[in-house]
Amino acid sequence: MTLLTEVQTLIRKEFLVEWRQKYALGGILLYVVSTVFIVYFSFSGIDAKAWNTLFWIIMLFASVNAVTKSFAQENSQRELYYYSLARPAAILLAKMIYNMLLLLLISGLTYIAFSILAIDPVKNSSQFFLALLLGSIGFSIAFTFISAIAGKAANSSTLMAILSFPAVIPILMTLLKISANSLGLMTDTGIWKDIGILLAIDLIMLTLTFILFPFLWRD
Amino acid sequence: MKNWWKILGVILLLYSFTVGMLIPLKPGVYSASPFTLEAGKKGEVTIYGYNTNYTKVKTPIRVWLTQDDANALAAESIKVVSDNQLIATFSMPTYYPGNSEATSLSLWVDSDADGAATLPDAISVTDNHPAKDVVDNVWTQQPVDNLSYTGKMTFPYRAMLGETVRNTYYHVPFWFAMMLILLSSMIFSWRYLQTLDIRHDHTAVALTQVGVLYGILGLITGSIWARYTWGDWWNFDIKQNMSAIAMLIYLAFFVLRSSFDDEEKKARISNVYNIFAFSTLIPLLFVIPRLYDSLHPGNGGNPGFGGDDLDSTMRMVLYPAVFGWLFLGLWMAQLLKRMAALRDKLYFEE
Repeated sequence: MTLLTEVQTLIRKEFLVEWRQKYALGGILLYVVSTVFIVYFSFSGIDAKAWNTLFWIIMLFASVNAVTKSFAQENSQRELYYYSLARPAAILLAKMIYNMLLLLLISGLTYIAFSILAIDPVKNSSQFFLALLLGSIGFSIAFTFISAIAGKAANSSTLMAILSFPAVIPILMTLLKISANSLGLMTDTGIWKDIGILLAIDLIMLTLTFILFPFLWRD
Repeated sequence: MKNWWKILGVILLLYSFTVGMLIPLKPGVYSASPFTLEAGKKGEVTIYGYNTNYTKVKTPIRVWLTQDDANALAAESIKVVSDNQLIATFSMPTYYPGNSEATSLSLWVDSDADGAATLPDAISVTDNHPAKDVVDNVWTQQPVDNLSYTGKMTFPYRAMLGETVRNTYYHVPFWFAMMLILLSSMIFSWRYLQTLDIRHDHTAVALTQVGVLYGILGLITGSIWARYTWGDWWNFDIKQNMSAIAMLIYLAFFVLRSSFDDEEKKARISNVYNIFAFSTLIPLLFVIPRLYDSLHPGNGGNPGFGGDDLDSTMRMVLYPAVFGWLFLGLWMAQLLKRMAALRDKLYFEE
């Protein structure tokens, strides 16, 4: 089997697992909606600036919750079985792509829920959706890899938070800037440079995770 | 000599402590009052000097107000009050080059005892009328020239920094040394993953410990400096925030290590994380601060580190201090590594 077909099969497996345990996906989606509600009730009025910050904070927490289980849910025997069938790189790549799709879904849902309940301040929608896409890719790479690290330890949920939050701050700060620009909160002529920086951070993380993952999976 | 670098490190540090503290600051202008002068009237400015010897001059002191390199106005009369105080009288013209409503002027003082000193944006002029046709341009009659130079060894004087300019020999070397030490820690982590030799793991952990120590010292010295120059211990400056986050990333490394019981697993996974942590350090400290305004030199329109602020006398102390702290850090890491190895040995002998 080539890497590509392996990845395809594994992504299909991820979807299948998700479909069979509907509570996981449903839980995440409900989590997003209820968080948006809490935020909406806690703030009497949300202006564009608060919207931008709150949107990415909700995204961050929902993403961590969604991705944490990706390695933690596998028990070690089943993991061993996967690694005997497929290349570690394929397993990592499949999980990353699956998580990216999941995060895109979450971000889309957050956006819809947030703009129905509060306001929809997005002025430059193509730039905003580009930020969502790049954000989902970046969060997915960083969180998937860190969940692989945290999944090896006993107290994985605490570790997931303390390892991943500082590590995604470069991505988050760049995203906040691009998204603020798309909301018309600031005008930055060099916004493509920021997008380039975000892409570069994503790319460096991706390369590094593929170099490091072979050392991580085997027990 | 196997341990030459330890001796060299100590010598370099002692050198940077003594020379960094003993060399005086260049005589400078501390402040001038009043801040505003009225155009077309006589203006009396009291000038306060720092480290100056105004009573010990051989030729008369000269004082100018300058608008830019080409436009300067010399003082009509100068009265020396004490070593650190001058009273200069200007007859303020009605014409000011440029078209702005309020003109900001810099002050230049030149004396043969202290050399030339300047205070940027010392005086602001109100009620100035940029005249269209000027018969007699007073601004170009007495240019700033023939400045004296004493040739004494001094550190540059900046009114905003004062004596805290010496913090350059602590704050900057801590960050330089931290980067180099964390870089070598990452290299040892990689070597551990390649060879699975536990000694490399000990080295990587020891280097990370020293790196985090230096990072915290860098934050503390920076915070003290910020209190003096920016007014607060913590200013939420982008570089302050990002380096604090960098420390969080590395503190998480130790939490990660403490959550494994199995030594081999602990070493393998924490070394993977260490390499990952270093890769997030680079955007945190070198990329993100460029996207936002910072109070640090070289960011947000502030003059860069180097140029006039870092003259050759300062370099003479700064670079040895960097290597001194680096060697001391490596020495500390070596001791920590030996301790870890001994602890392992005792554990297995039991």
